[in-house]
Amino acid sequence: MRLYLRLLGAHFRSLLEYETDFLILVAATVLMQVINIVFLAALFAKVPAINGWTFWSVLMMFGAVALAEGVGSLFFDGMWNLAWMINRGDLDYYLVRPYPVVLQVSSHWLGINGLSNIVTGSLMIGAGLAHSAIDWTPWRAAVGVLLLISSIVIKVSLNLATNAVCFWSTSPSPMFAFAMHQVGDLARFPLSIYPVALKAVLGLALPFAFISFFPIAYLLNTGSSRWLGLLTPLVAAYCVGMAALIFKRGLRRYESAGN
Amino acid sequence: MKGYRALARATAKAALAYRLSLLLGMGAVLGQLVALLAVWGVILARSPVNGFTWPQMRAYLLVAFAAGTVVSILGDFRMASRILDGDVALDLVKPIDYQKARLAESLGGLWIEILLIAAVIGVVVALTGGVDIPAGPALALFAASMLILVPLKFLIVYVSTLACFWTQNFMGVQWARLAVVNLLSGALIPLVYLPHWLATAAQWSPFAGLTSTPALIFLGRVHGREALVLVAVQLGWVLVLWFGARLVWRAALRRLTVNGG
Repeated sequence: MRLYLRLLGAHFRSLLEYETDFLILVAATVLMQVINIVFLAALFAKVPAINGWTFWSVLMMFGAVALAEGVGSLFFDGMWNLAWMINRGDLDYYLVRPYPVVLQVSSHWLGINGLSNIVTGSLMIGAGLAHSAIDWTPWRAAVGVLLLISSIVIKVSLNLATNAVCFWSTSPSPMFAFAMHQVGDLARFPLSIYPVALKAVLGLALPFAFISFFPIAYLLNTGSSRWLGLLTPLVAAYCVGMAALIFKRGLRRYESAGN
Repeated sequence: MKGYRALARATAKAALAYRLSLLLGMGAVLGQLVALLAVWGVILARSPVNGFTWPQMRAYLLVAFAAGTVVSILGDFRMASRILDGDVALDLVKPIDYQKARLAESLGGLWIEILLIAAVIGVVVALTGGVDIPAGPALALFAASMLILVPLKFLIVYVSTLACFWTQNFMGVQWARLAVVNLLSGALIPLVYLPHWLATAAQWSPFAGLTSTPALIFLGRVHGREALVLVAVQLGWVLVLWFGARLVWRAALRRLTVNGG
């Protein structure tokens, strides 16, 4: 743990060296979220609700995805370099060091854009909660925190699992993981608007819907599948297990680049 | 001319060699199409909003998808990394014009993109129902607008990639560009849904030509003189950006320092 933070800290210091770059990235990610909000506001200015979901509830879903993504970028961004490391044979160095390979990979880089996504995502969730009629009990608050943590764990595990697919493909860029990341963006909207096949993909195959939709449906007590949100911690455990398994299997297949 | 044609062919060959990457690369635009189709399908099932019926919105989103997919097999990442590495020096000594060479490269993959667009539109139409095709003159104007879109999109990407001469961070510039284009072009939501001042600003910006203008002409929401003005604005921006890019390029070259090797 301490070592992990030190590895990230080194990248953080190197990022601060390039001040304008740092600012550009932060500004760009904030801009992206602002544009999402403008889009939602423009949409909901004309329609009161989509399938019973209001502006504030959909804003929370967008916020949850942004927050989970932000944590993934800030603390585990190195995963996105896995394809490149495999292609170049750079993984060799990690294999001989006495520290878990997964953690070395994920601490290989620090996406400072994660910081702004964490802030904007939290603000969006906060605004949504402030405008919702949840009657807070200690139990509900505790479940809420547990769901939030689980949702972040799901996102990070899915990132790892989809990036680990690079062990089998030869591409030097994480195209597959990136495409799946785009699929995950579909889960920013209420799942009920999609056809059955997509519901199955987002709810079961790649459980992106458990990052945003199901937990929020449970908290807001809206929609027809509100209890499914309570499964989020289980789904998180399942995702961690699967990601670890895929990574381990992939690592066994790894055969350097032969320098 | 032969040199440029070879560059264009190289893009197509690269795209065909990395077929999976090509398809996965379409993911972002395709994902947005699916999400927006689902959202509007639910909203417009009851009643039209802002004068858009469901078949119209479907047509709008399909045009937006086509507009978002053409000229997307870009060498922008490659161009950016060559500028950042200093390999751009090698491009400078080649006896061809840099801007035209990059244009040729991005045109090379156009026919592949058109095939992919046709396939996706075919699937969407089969799943969700047909689309009304406008009458002769409007269709011709739509075609002209789509044609002008090609250099316009190239130029916007090209100019933003030249920012690499000033910053190391291409990623941030690219994200910002994608976000701004998505909103102000009307790809995310038709411009009439935006607040009036923003819609007007977007309408006259170069971005409207990237989705809104051809889509509105296709739907018949603008016609006659009004449509001609919009296409003229589109064309005007192509000219402004083409010569503007030359100025930026000249300023950029003055900043360029390449370490020996």
